[in-house]
This record gives sequence, structure tokens and C-alpha cells, in this order.
Amino acid sequence: MASDGSEFNIIIAGVGGQGILFSSRVITRAALDSGLNFVQSEVHGLAQRYGSIKTEIRIGRDVVSPLIMEGTLDLLVALEPIEALRYASYVTDRTSIVMNTHLVAPIGAYLERKRIPKVKEILEVLEALKPKRLEALNAVEVAERAGDIVVTNSVLLGAVDALGVLPFDEGALRRALEKEAPKKYLELNLRAFDMGREEILKR
Amino acid sequence: MSKAVLSPPGSIVPLLGNEAIARGAIEAGLDVAAAYPGTPSTEIGETLAEAARELGFHFEWATNEKVASEVAIGAAWSGLRAMCFMKHVGVNVAADALFTLTYAGTIGGLVVVSADDPHAHSSQNEQDNRHYAVAMGLPMLEPSTPQEAKDLVYRAFDLSERYALPFLVRSTTRISHTRAPVRLGEIRERRGKGKFKPPEPDRYVQVGAIARKHHRELLEKLSRIERELASEFAEVRGGSGELGIITSGVAYTYVLEAARAMGLDVPILKLTMTNPLPAESIGEFLRGLKRVLIVEELDPYLEERVKAIAKDTAPDVEILGKAQGLLPRVGELNIKLVVGALSKVTGKPSPIDFGALEERAKPALELAVNRPPVMCPACPHRASGYAIRRAAGSAVYLNDIGCYALLFQRPFNLGDVTHAMGSGVGFANGISLATDQKTVALIGDSTFFHAGIPALINAVHHNRKFLLVVLDNRITAMTGHQPHPGVPVSAMGEEVPALDIEKVVRGLGVEHVQIVDPFDFKAAENAVREAMKHDGVSVVIMRRECALLTVRRLRREGVKIVPYRVDPDKCTYCRVCINTYACPAFVDTGKVVEIDPTVCFGCGSCVDVCPYGAIEPMEGSLDWRGEKIGV
Repeated sequence: MASDGSEFNIIIAGVGGQGILFSSRVITRAALDSGLNFVQSEVHGLAQRYGSIKTEIRIGRDVVSPLIMEGTLDLLVALEPIEALRYASYVTDRTSIVMNTHLVAPIGAYLERKRIPKVKEILEVLEALKPKRLEALNAVEVAERAGDIVVTNSVLLGAVDALGVLPFDEGALRRALEKEAPKKYLELNLRAFDMGREEILKR
Repeated sequence: MSKAVLSPPGSIVPLLGNEAIARGAIEAGLDVAAAYPGTPSTEIGETLAEAARELGFHFEWATNEKVASEVAIGAAWSGLRAMCFMKHVGVNVAADALFTLTYAGTIGGLVVVSADDPHAHSSQNEQDNRHYAVAMGLPMLEPSTPQEAKDLVYRAFDLSERYALPFLVRSTTRISHTRAPVRLGEIRERRGKGKFKPPEPDRYVQVGAIARKHHRELLEKLSRIERELASEFAEVRGGSGELGIITSGVAYTYVLEAARAMGLDVPILKLTMTNPLPAESIGEFLRGLKRVLIVEELDPYLEERVKAIAKDTAPDVEILGKAQGLLPRVGELNIKLVVGALSKVTGKPSPIDFGALEERAKPALELAVNRPPVMCPACPHRASGYAIRRAAGSAVYLNDIGCYALLFQRPFNLGDVTHAMGSGVGFANGISLATDQKTVALIGDSTFFHAGIPALINAVHHNRKFLLVVLDNRITAMTGHQPHPGVPVSAMGEEVPALDIEKVVRGLGVEHVQIVDPFDFKAAENAVREAMKHDGVSVVIMRRECALLTVRRLRREGVKIVPYRVDPDKCTYCRVCINTYACPAFVDTGKVVEIDPTVCFGCGSCVDVCPYGAIEPMEGSLDWRGEKIGV
């Protein structure tokens, strides 16, 4: 609940298969290594199959509930723009939003001839919620430049790090990524992280 | 499995609730564990499978939950420490063995874990398995956090041996799939080999008079457990005033935070043992209060029992909860719902104006088109669905439990029914008997072994006429790729005999059996057409490995996944690809269809779907069918 810095609440949202569980593990690893308590909830099984998925991470001494209460969100990381919209009722002026602009339309929406929103519209309605900060970047494009689109999630982690809102020491998130990334893809992930960070810092 | 699970005693590591459950069993000196995968219980097995290889105990993915339970029971009767675990509906399958088990008791510590799924995140229902504990006479412990999950499983092994009774640990999705720091304990030595030696000659023989004797013994054991464990598993936490809260499981965490958010310092009774309920502790808690709010997920299990206890011990206390509609019976709880209930009960306003937040969020939520789960790109089930739809046309489609259940969605519409493991084949028996309609049952390979076989035997024996399509993707895919009896490796990575579904089916007496690669649309369609003509029960096995396995293997081998593309000059925007094949990689730009390279796995199966030949490989794209990749 508290917005006094005693707890920090994060939602990572995206489409199943985008590496959301991995990103969450990096953040909780950073929390643990910074000596902070955390609770993180995730969804497994069929829901992961290209459907909407999210994890909720809560960091702070007294957090016990695995689920975040609306109005107490500090950071929303969206790996896909439509997925950012679903958590609008959690967003207040304490919320920072980092959003990947690469839109993945639900195939079911085509079949049912539903209108798929434009990224511009999405940014407008999110802006209207008056978040503390809203940063949108094409993380897929950055990841491609880094070497492979599979590290899109690490680009976003870098972008998050650049905001400087996480309750960790300087460099803790990057060190956590070093620990959690598979060795074979370590360099690629770190490059993606740094490029994502740079993308925000240069703004 | 996270490597963290096997960290040394004393370390604090981030564990998923399910990993913590596995660690608790390992610390207790687990010898044998068995299970059938099912969300939200699966990671217990994934963790044990990997640890078993390292530590030397035994873990297996069994054919189904009943067999898994019987494996564990047999080991426990031989004096070993054993565990079986399953999702909530898995207990339905295991129930026949588990009900009588409490009469028989155990020698080695025996722990049963039920992972319930309030909200049915990944399930066909929201059944509340606490009722089973009562019906079976099974003592039940409910953790509130991953740390408690580990500690309770560990404790349950000792208690099981002390009372010679299996113990149930009931988890829920938000325990099983919550990651939090967990402090690890020492790992006890295992027993290794056991010996089957019943403590009395009739101990495991449940008939008539013997069963009645054992029933009486069970009831005595349960009252002893209630008396002796109440102080350990019923804890009052702080607070003062005339209003109290009784809660258990993950709901306890919502209560703590909701009370804190509202600035309420109320006494909270946390029940960790919820069968048998510690009636005396509950009565004592009630006596100091005027009103009590019961906070629990799903059924008013505690609420109704607390009412009964209050009638004898504190008849004037007002019991509040689901009966007054303060909390829902459907879905999960969360902090907000508990804040809402507390606000109504105390008259204190909610610290957050949720209504205003929702109102403000409306424009965003209106834009948020739904994204239900869909079959992955390159999924063989999509190809199977495409072929079945074209070949069988209008028929009654009995679907089953697995990723292919998603074929009920557009554009395939192959799912008039999705019910319970193996039920599709059973229903096909009934519907083909009752009607003259064409009947097609679909079942996955793992589900076929789990519960499909008895219904197929019934069909052969009674001369039923329907088509059974076995969607054989060579793995239990939906839960994250566990082996099943048709796969030549065990959970622990040993080489084991694989049962051939074709031989099984022929052995059961099915005469018309065909095997096809679903990516070969023509062959698959022809197979279905022919099978539908057969006068009797026919089987088509559509065999191609789960695309996620194929992609993982290719990546491991260093093969770059190169997507396909659409030639915009050839695309007429007829949308046949989207309307009949619906791969999530298709992008409708409003003028042409494109393929999203971040989604496409480059299988090439969609090439034949396009009537204009507009879908084509890029440099380096593979052709899974032509190159026999994944078959």
C-alpha cells in the first residue's frame, strides 16, 4: 500500500513466450542480492500459450500478498503495448511505465473483426492516466541491433534500469542479469541491456 | 528447476512455492515421489526430477494420478518416505485409492499435495479440495507462503509417521506459483530400500468388518490429531477489539495487508490445520469477540464450520463472510476484495477509491482487445485441426484436456465438449449410441494413456461407430513437456520402454488405424475421410512433435530460426490464411497479410494454405515437412 518507499510494486505484462518469467527472475534476483524481501506471483500452464500473461513483483520488508492492490503500482513494464492497457486501473501518479511499441495483435481479434488499437492511441490513453513517467521504445528493433530479437526482454530491463526508480543499488539489475542469463547468451543479453539503458538515458 | 533448490542449508534462496514443496520433501528424506503433471502442481515434479538425478531418490511421472498415488502408497507401506502430488482435479482421479488409504494408514511418512486452482487459471473448474480432506478423513495443512509450504511439507512427513496416517498439504495457485525468499534446512538421510511388512495381518485388507474397525480407528486418530496439534497449527496474531478475523492459506496474506492498509489492528486467527479443525482454539478465539469475519477463497468451508463451533461455544458472536455476500465464492481473493469486506464491516472508508480508478481506466480498458491463449506458431495441432475441419466437416466434436482443447476456438470450432481427462472418448461412446450424428473424439497422447484407453475398449467391445483422432505430439505439452508412457525416457532421464500408441490401439481391437504427419494436409485429410467411412470405431494418429520442442532442439543445435514471409505482390488480401489457419504470426495490415518475424517459427506449414502461393521461405528458412523435422 505505502507510497513512502517502504514497498515497491511491479507488473510485467506481455504475451506468453516473450520472456516475462525470465525478466521477473532477474528483478527478484536483484532484490534478493540487495538484501530486500520480495514476493512475486506468476502464471504457468495453458495461459502461457501466446495469451496475455503477467507477473506481479512486490519488494519491501512487510510485503506478503503475492498480488498487488490497484492504485499501488510503482512500475509497469509492458513487453507489448496492448498488454499495458489491461492494468490501467493500477496506474497512478506513483507509476512509471516502460512500454515496448512492437504490437502483437491477438489472432482472435482478426477472426472476430475486432478493432486493434494503434500504438499512438495506446500511448494517448496511458498518458491520460498521468503516470509519473511513460517511456515507449521499440525494444524489438533495439534487440535486433544487439544481435537477436530473443533478447527484447533484456532491452526493456535496461530501459527500466535507466529510469532509476528501482529500489536497488546502482548496477544491481545488470549484475542479476549476469547471474540469471544462460552463459551462451550472456554477452548478447548484456549488450541488449546496455542498449536499452542507453536508449532511455539519451532522451 | 532453479538451481537454488539444492543450495546448502541455511541459505536464503528465491523459490517458487512448488519448488519449496519439493525442497521440503527432500529435506524430510524423501525416498519416492510420483505424480501426473497438472497446473498448478507441475513444478514440484520438475524440481524433484532434476534433484532425484543428483541426490539419488526416485521420482516418476506416472500414467495418471491414481497410479501415482498407488506408487507412493506402495512405497510408504514398504516403510519409505513417499509423496504424491496433483492438481485439484487430479484428486478426483486418485480419490478411489485415497479414500480407503486413510483406513489403511501408513508406515513410512506419506504426504499428498493437492494444488487447487481458484479462478480456474488453467483448469476446467474451481473445485475446493478441502471438502475431500473431510470426506476422506485426511488431516490437512494449508501454507500461506512458499516458506511455510516447505516447512509444512517437511513437518507433515514426521506427523504422518507419528499418526500412521497420510497428511494432505493443500496449496493453491498463488502459493504454488509465488516466488519468495525461502530459508533452507538440513537434508535428512534417506532410507533407500524398504520392506513390505504390514504391522498387522489385516492392516491393508479393507473388507466389511475389518473396514469398520479401521474406520473407528481413523476417527480416533483424527480426534487425537485435533487435540495434540491445535496449539501448533492455530495461531492468534495481535490486535484488540470486538471484531476478529479467521483465515487460512494465501487469504491470510491478503488479510494482513488489507488490515494494515486500513490501519486496523484486529485479532487474526490463522488456521494452518484446516482438517480436523481445532475447535477448541476457534471457540476460545470467538469468546472474546462480538463479530468475526471469515476470509477464505472459494467455498464457505471455514465459515460454516466456525458457525457450528460458535453455536456451542460462543452463540452470540456474529459470523460474517460469504453468507452476507461480503466476499465472493467464485474466483480468487486479493487485497482489494478484503479491504472491501473490512470496509463494509467496520464502516471505515477504503484507503483507495477503487471506483474512481476504474472509471479513469475505462478508455484504456476499452481499447484492450482480449488475448486468450492460442496454439503456438508451428503447432502441429493447428495443422491437425485444419485437416479435420476440412475432411470431417459438420460433426459432434468431443475434445479433451490438453493444448488441443484450444481447437474449440475459431476458426476450427472443434470442441463441442471439453470436460475431464479422457472424457471425450467416453462421451463419444454415449453420443454415437444415442444419435445418428457423425462423432469425432480428439485426444492427446498423454491424455490417451491417462484415461482414454478404458473408454476406447468400451467402444470396441460395444461396436460403437466414431472416429478417434489421437493428437500425438510425443510429450505432455501443456504443462511444460513432461514425458509420458509413449516416450522412451523417464522423468529422471533414464532410458525406458516406450509404448507404441498404434500397437496399443490395434491390441485393443481397433481395426482401422492410420498414422499421418499433420503438416501433410492431403494425407491427413484423406486419413480422416477414410476413417469416417469405416463401420466401427476408427483411429487416426496425427503424429508430430510439439513445435516448442522442435524449436528448442534447433536452437540448441545452433540452427538459426528464419521466418517465412508473404510476397505482397502475390497477396490478394483474401485472408484465407487468417480465416482458416489462424497462426498467431499472421499480421493483418488492412491491405495485405504479413508474417511477424518475432512470432514466426519458420515451420512453413502455412505455405499450402495460401491459394495464391504468396507465402514463401526467406534465405535460410527450413521446411519442416519436406525436411522431416519434428517427425
